[in-house]
Amino acid sequence: MSIQEIYDAVMAYEEEDVAELVQAQVDAGTDIEKILNEGLISALDVIGEKFSAGTLFVPEMLMAAEAVQAGLEIVRPLLIDTGAKPVGTVILGTVKGDLHDIGKNLVGMMFEGAGFKLIDLGTDVDPEEFISAAQENDADIIALSGLLTTSMPEMEKTVEAIRDANKNRNLNVKTMVGGPPINEEFATRIGADGYSVDAPTAVDDARALMAAGI
Amino acid sequence: MTWTHRERILAALNHEEADRVPIDFGGAEFTSITLACYEKLKKYMGIDTPTEVMSIIHTCAHPAEEILDRFGVDTRNVQPSPYEGGVDHWTDDNTYTDTFNVLWKRTEKAVDQHFLHQDGPFHGGKLTVEQVEEYDWPDGKNPGLVKGIRERVEQIQANGDHAVCLYLPGGIIHRGYAMRGFEAYLKDLYKRPEAVQLLMDKLCDFWCDTAESMIEAAGPENVDIIYFGEDLGTQDSCMFDPDTIYKDYLKPRHRRMVETVKGATNNKAKVCYHCCGSAYHFIPHLLDIGIDALNPVQVTAKNMEPERLKEAFGDRLTFWGGINTQEILPFGTPVEVAAETKRIIDILGKGGGYILNSVHNIQAEVPPENIVAMFETGVNHRYH
Repeated sequence: MSIQEIYDAVMAYEEEDVAELVQAQVDAGTDIEKILNEGLISALDVIGEKFSAGTLFVPEMLMAAEAVQAGLEIVRPLLIDTGAKPVGTVILGTVKGDLHDIGKNLVGMMFEGAGFKLIDLGTDVDPEEFISAAQENDADIIALSGLLTTSMPEMEKTVEAIRDANKNRNLNVKTMVGGPPINEEFATRIGADGYSVDAPTAVDDARALMAAGI
Repeated sequence: MTWTHRERILAALNHEEADRVPIDFGGAEFTSITLACYEKLKKYMGIDTPTEVMSIIHTCAHPAEEILDRFGVDTRNVQPSPYEGGVDHWTDDNTYTDTFNVLWKRTEKAVDQHFLHQDGPFHGGKLTVEQVEEYDWPDGKNPGLVKGIRERVEQIQANGDHAVCLYLPGGIIHRGYAMRGFEAYLKDLYKRPEAVQLLMDKLCDFWCDTAESMIEAAGPENVDIIYFGEDLGTQDSCMFDPDTIYKDYLKPRHRRMVETVKGATNNKAKVCYHCCGSAYHFIPHLLDIGIDALNPVQVTAKNMEPERLKEAFGDRLTFWGGINTQEILPFGTPVEVAAETKRIIDILGKGGGYILNSVHNIQAEVPPENIVAMFETGVNHRYH
């Protein structure tokens, strides 16, 4: 019995095996952060890299993220007990006027799988909802998603509202944007702090923003 | 020589240049215009013909004949009529249950008000072979589906020599997503392959039966194009593995669908396959099963640059669409739209093999001036 087995079970998309193996490690007294980092997060990172490289696809990422989720459910309460802090806190949602959530959900799964605390506000989220959720949860990042081209002006408004709240309402969050019609150029133009091409990259970008000391 | 509309379309599909690029608008549910945008276009053009809805689920319009004429559109649409005696019904204006018992809800708060599927007969739990087998499947030969088809074809023929584009909705992936749930279906491809393949077969049976009776009703000699499809790509990648999941599970069923429609039209009709997003890695498989044209050629998706596509597949595949709906049509000026339209015609239309259309339905925020600029450029621009 080893942490490698947890890693292997994630890579094999075996959700039930992951839960059993994580529980066994917990029962054996293995360090919780070691289970999390070496068993779960590192496996999902590899899946994410393969997804971004175009060698694995949506079904594989869904299955791996769910396998990690099964392990997280066991370790999460224990992490709280140990007083360990999450990597960061992310508020996630699809912007106002857009009800698509497949991409957003993938991003959410990857954030959780990477040890972030995630508050998913769902779809059709008003700028003010993002801001109040960020205030209530002392968030580090607000991540905005959208599929429709009609969502792009809404995304711009939301980023502006957040920037205004950062300046005038004692908020201190970074903004990340993503979705099929979104690109780097658009993100820069509307003043977002980051643009990510896909879900695994969003996690990497969020890590970079955290490391840059936000 | 003077080219008829039909000849222009057939020339493109046979990789020959006609007098100008052939144009489609409203040939299928994915080459039309959203209702909100259509109203703006009608107003701009001074047309007050009542709006005919092509698909309430996709919230798109059936463009009026006078608009099609003004834009020099070479295609005319034929598609199934409503199923008779099925389980489909409206609960209220925003809630619809379809023939496959899938619950659709209008996205009331969304700008374009389209529908998204919310629930279906196989949602939740583990999908089993028994469940799929025992389901009360609708009949693809339902008489309602073909009602009025012959009359529609006769009307098209009486009004001019346009290419008859027979659109067949459904398929095996999108209907599968709707009945089972998107994420569950994708996982079933690995976790419950037997049950999900049976689901594919049942949907394939329905589609082929409908296709055969539609072609028979239209008259096999009258059908120029069969249009169908389901998305295989995402913006930046493939939805699933083209060389395992697609090749082993989906391709054999798609092959059967293509063979069915080609067989039913004595190999006369050409087949256009619709696949949003990055279709690049699937194209060799699509060519292998006999697909003639690819729509909507989402040029902003990965590996979908027009130069790359024409170079790799231009001798065997006709490109249908290609005018950038994610950037230029909604956010550009008419001058930029005209320049982009010329660019696409010059690249994809060289030697034939291109039919002009926007990438997917023209979306809600596209200014009418840009729509006019796209079609006018299509009519006036010459290949060389």
